Amino acid sequence: MSDLALMAHLMRRAGFTATRDELEEYLAEGYEATVEKLLNPGEPGNMPDDLIRRYHVDQSELRQLDGAGAYWLYRMITTQNPLEEKIALFWHGLFATGYSKLNQARALLNQIDMFRTYGLGSFKTLLVELSKDPAMIIWLDNNDNHKDAINENYGRELLELFSMGIGSYTEDDIKECAKAFTGWTVKNSEYMAMRASKDSIWPYGRIAWHYEYREDDHDTSSKSFLGEEGSFDGEDVIEIIVRQEAAARFLSTRLFQFFVADVVTSEGELVIDEMVREYFESEYEISAVLRVMFNSEYFKSDTARYARVKGPVESVVGTARIAGSYAEPTIAVTDLWAQTMYMGQGLLAPPTVEGWHEGMEWIDSGALVERVNFAAKELGNPDKPGVQSLINRLTEQYAGSPSPEEMVDGCLDLVGPIEVADRTREGLIHFATSLGEVILDTDDPSSDGRKKVADTLSMIASTREYQLA
Amino acid sequence: MVTSKEKSLVVMQLSGGNDYLNTVIPYGDDEYYDFRKTVHIAQDSVLPIDSTYGFNPHLGPIKRLYDEGKVAVINGIGYDNPNRSHFRSMDIWHTALPDEIGTEGWLGRVIREIDPKGENVLTGVNFGRGLPRALGVRGVPVASVGNLETYGLFTDIEDEETRNLALRAFAHMYGGVQGKDPVLDFLGQTGTDALKGADILRTAPQQYSSTIEYASNPISQSLRSVAQVLFADLGTRVFYTQHGSFDTHSGELISHAKLWDEVSSGIGDFYDDLKEHGREDEVIILVFSEFGRRIKDNGSGTDHGSGGVAFIIGSEIKGGMYGQYPSIKEADQLEGDLRFNNDFRSTYSTIIESWFGMDAIPIVNGSFEKFDFVSK
Amino acid sequence: MNLKVPERLRYLKTIGIVNNGFNGRGFANPYDIVVSREGNMFVLNRCDPARRSAIRIGVCNLNEDYLYEFGYGFGDGPGQMVWPVSLAFDSLSRVLVTDEHNNRVTLFTSKGDYVSHWGECGTGQGQFDGPAGIVIDEEDVVFVADQKNHRIQKYSIDGEFIGQWGERGSSEGQFDLPWGITIDRQGKVYVADWRNDRVQVFDKNGEIKMVIGSQGDGEENLNRPSGVSVDSSGDVYVADWGNERIQVFGRNGEFKYTLRGEATLSQWAIDFFASNPDEMEQRKISNLEPELPDHLLTAYHISSQIEPFFWGPVSVHVDSEDKLYVVESNRHRVQVYEPA
Repeated sequence: MSDLALMAHLMRRAGFTATRDELEEYLAEGYEATVEKLLNPGEPGNMPDDLIRRYHVDQSELRQLDGAGAYWLYRMITTQNPLEEKIALFWHGLFATGYSKLNQARALLNQIDMFRTYGLGSFKTLLVELSKDPAMIIWLDNNDNHKDAINENYGRELLELFSMGIGSYTEDDIKECAKAFTGWTVKNSEYMAMRASKDSIWPYGRIAWHYEYREDDHDTSSKSFLGEEGSFDGEDVIEIIVRQEAAARFLSTRLFQFFVADVVTSEGELVIDEMVREYFESEYEISAVLRVMFNSEYFKSDTARYARVKGPVESVVGTARIAGSYAEPTIAVTDLWAQTMYMGQGLLAPPTVEGWHEGMEWIDSGALVERVNFAAKELGNPDKPGVQSLINRLTEQYAGSPSPEEMVDGCLDLVGPIEVADRTREGLIHFATSLGEVILDTDDPSSDGRKKVADTLSMIASTREYQLA
Repeated sequence: MVTSKEKSLVVMQLSGGNDYLNTVIPYGDDEYYDFRKTVHIAQDSVLPIDSTYGFNPHLGPIKRLYDEGKVAVINGIGYDNPNRSHFRSMDIWHTALPDEIGTEGWLGRVIREIDPKGENVLTGVNFGRGLPRALGVRGVPVASVGNLETYGLFTDIEDEETRNLALRAFAHMYGGVQGKDPVLDFLGQTGTDALKGADILRTAPQQYSSTIEYASNPISQSLRSVAQVLFADLGTRVFYTQHGSFDTHSGELISHAKLWDEVSSGIGDFYDDLKEHGREDEVIILVFSEFGRRIKDNGSGTDHGSGGVAFIIGSEIKGGMYGQYPSIKEADQLEGDLRFNNDFRSTYSTIIESWFGMDAIPIVNGSFEKFDFVSK
Repeated sequence: MNLKVPERLRYLKTIGIVNNGFNGRGFANPYDIVVSREGNMFVLNRCDPARRSAIRIGVCNLNEDYLYEFGYGFGDGPGQMVWPVSLAFDSLSRVLVTDEHNNRVTLFTSKGDYVSHWGECGTGQGQFDGPAGIVIDEEDVVFVADQKNHRIQKYSIDGEFIGQWGERGSSEGQFDLPWGITIDRQGKVYVADWRNDRVQVFDKNGEIKMVIGSQGDGEENLNRPSGVSVDSSGDVYVADWGNERIQVFGRNGEFKYTLRGEATLSQWAIDFFASNPDEMEQRKISNLEPELPDHLLTAYHISSQIEPFFWGPVSVHVDSEDKLYVVESNRHRVQVYEPA
């Protein structure tokens, strides 16, 4: 594929798509350099917090879920470090922690912030931070995990869902693991847990959480875990976990499925093998594993292109980035979060600790209608800054009056570039033809040329291919 | 007698935790007035069922139906280890799994049982956007209709001609099986189904004719849409609606009254509409909420509690008081709340078996004693 | 002349509770307060999006009696609000409210009946873009912080343009998204120059008199100040929003002291716990002022965890008896201080 198409592919995967302006900047740097930049994010340059809180009382207080979700959407849309947000979304799906039990939106956002900070670093450090994360502690009841009465929930899910997968450990390992994490709790945990279970906001709103280690509640006995002996605590247990081949493979496979392809073929397995090797070489550095993955021939090949179904959040954020909306605080952002709910991926509200079912399972008729309508509406507005920018490029390219084919091909190129099947292109051209003559370079305010381009963009946003990343 | 093939269920979810004590009121019990110093209904305002219990005066139309023997009141409905968090408790009602986190909705399973091959994409319709968990089962198509009049694709394209062009283009692009890529094929099939479903649903308001004038509030309008879809005979068997918020922590007397005015007038109008079209024996309505509220008020409203009330309404329902009205005596309370005395899955099981004629056990994850509120 | 000059204020009480419903006692993200001649508190509730239909002005008194409330709902119809910011009384005791989304000023009677509204969005004379703070002098001249045009505008009570000063920038007399505004007893105009992290003091014609504060979190500093009010002795109270505190300066701009907030249970809070004793029990055995880990040591995070502290102190108001009212939008309450 062309350099442009490859860069667009990289940005769809490592980020949430990029505008044509952004793509040209990245192209000037080159592929490998862009990968490095992604893996080493600098200043995020997103919409400043003070501006957000100035206008959005709910995002200042974070009493409820919608404010927190909208806040994260602002970050995803306005960040200049797309991978930082994308990896946070990845970890959010893997270490799925949800509002429904916590009734604490702030704790969830703090967890996402932890993912930003540690999400590209050492897997070991990340797992330790996760174990100390107050949202996770309450979510999986580790506040109920006591020296004299262990609660296995976190111990189990840490092994089963977060690091190794079923089959790599025994039931005894789960118990020992749970014991190692006794005493890892939240300050004022009894009051906080009660407030969570009653969804209490009284009298003065929510009280935030933070980690507390209760030494007197920690089990210091000798434990036998994954074949090793010692009076392990949580950090020791994690140290053992990350050394396992199973952990390397689990992590690499999940990263592959999220960033490269929904389905792992035998060719894909070879890439995962490389990722596993790099995982150990680099001593569990996630960015090193990702580097190998993004630079692999497989990732850059035609096979990997469009090999994923965009999740609803990706779809919403990507469309918003192209349309250029939500670049400044706006009252519409709350509805934006609601959109992710309607489409089946309510941010910060995964249905269970297993997260969401991705790939083809994102699609059902209700979700598809919402996706198509949302994207068509965003891109169908010629006044949005991003759409204006696209129209301006089109005007330059086809000075005056583009033919239907030129308009369709031009739009496909500028909004992506996106490749579509013949039947899709037929439908688009037929639509564009029915719109009639399109005149772009005119000062006449009543001219509908710009609206026609926007309508064509709407049609493109409704295609099957647009649903793929 | 209606055959099981034609029976429908309308579910109305009262979101936020409806205050049971102020809906079916123990006005004959002095202690009610002791606990509810501010947030109470005066004795002479109550619409009496008997000398102890009565309806909130804003349930007029429902009381009328009750007097006609068409309302089953399930007293003290709930589940063990009550959860007072909106999300979690509603999830429990939706998935019929109090002790674990469930992934399948009970109504989704019902729809799957009715239409195992998913031949009719409109077997279940939700009036609202997004999919309530109760209806969610992988592979089971459910239409979520925000506004029946405007439901469909490209609803934001204002110009009708352009919109029609867009729909035609969409149909073309999504049609045709390529057989090369399973994902694209699946997308194609889904899009085509969505288009078909929208086209079919759009005919419902067009065919509708009725003398009943529903009120303009959202729940009345939802029920009107339910009527439209029902009368259009599109094969829809499960209808889902919601109203709220019943989360009346303050200013309860005013907001609770308004909410019930809206709900009961909506139900009254809907029932009259059914009668006008001669279809009242095909439908029952289940009205439920995720929990009740505390026995003692907080000076302006009430806080989350447990143990609530549900209604099942219809001409084929044997009206009356079911379950037991929980005792509000201090000694009988559960940490300041009402104790439940019947598991909500009993009510679900009754609906699934006695109304729909299906096996309830796989749907509600167990066997629960049924009520006798469905006429044979 | 009042010889008793308040040296320092002391905490009196807290009024408020978060209101999850449509009406009744409590507040939902209160953004501003004015106190009427009768001593009643008019609290402007901005409300989060999920509760936007509850957007309203609530009226209560120091005795914590909830008197009434008014509003015409969320929207841009007459009397409706979307993003209300600030309110003020005119000489007829009518309430004027700015709305930075609807770009207008709405007038209500003090009983809450809609009277009229005026204003339109724009950069021209008499237009504004995101009107924020509002204050009215004894001659019924209305001063509005014209936020996104970075200037102060003056109008008659019916919206006729009188004058303006300011432009975007950080020099004296320039503004960056100005927010709160007040007038002291001598007729000097104080503007919380939000993104310039300072309070600027002018005469009514826009001539600069004094600048208070600079960016930071130290004694002389302010960080995104959102509101300002002045007492009878000239002490200046600044809602130092970004630092989650109230900074008190003397009449010559010299730093005097800081208030961090020390909220106690209001009567409405006590009523809540009376019917929820289980929560009260747990609360009693909890340490509500714990030590925090390093990464949570910003003022914003500290206040989110330590309930008595100010959190989101958006606005301050001094009444005719020199009592100070601090409106906290994130805690749904008003902390009241009185002369010691």
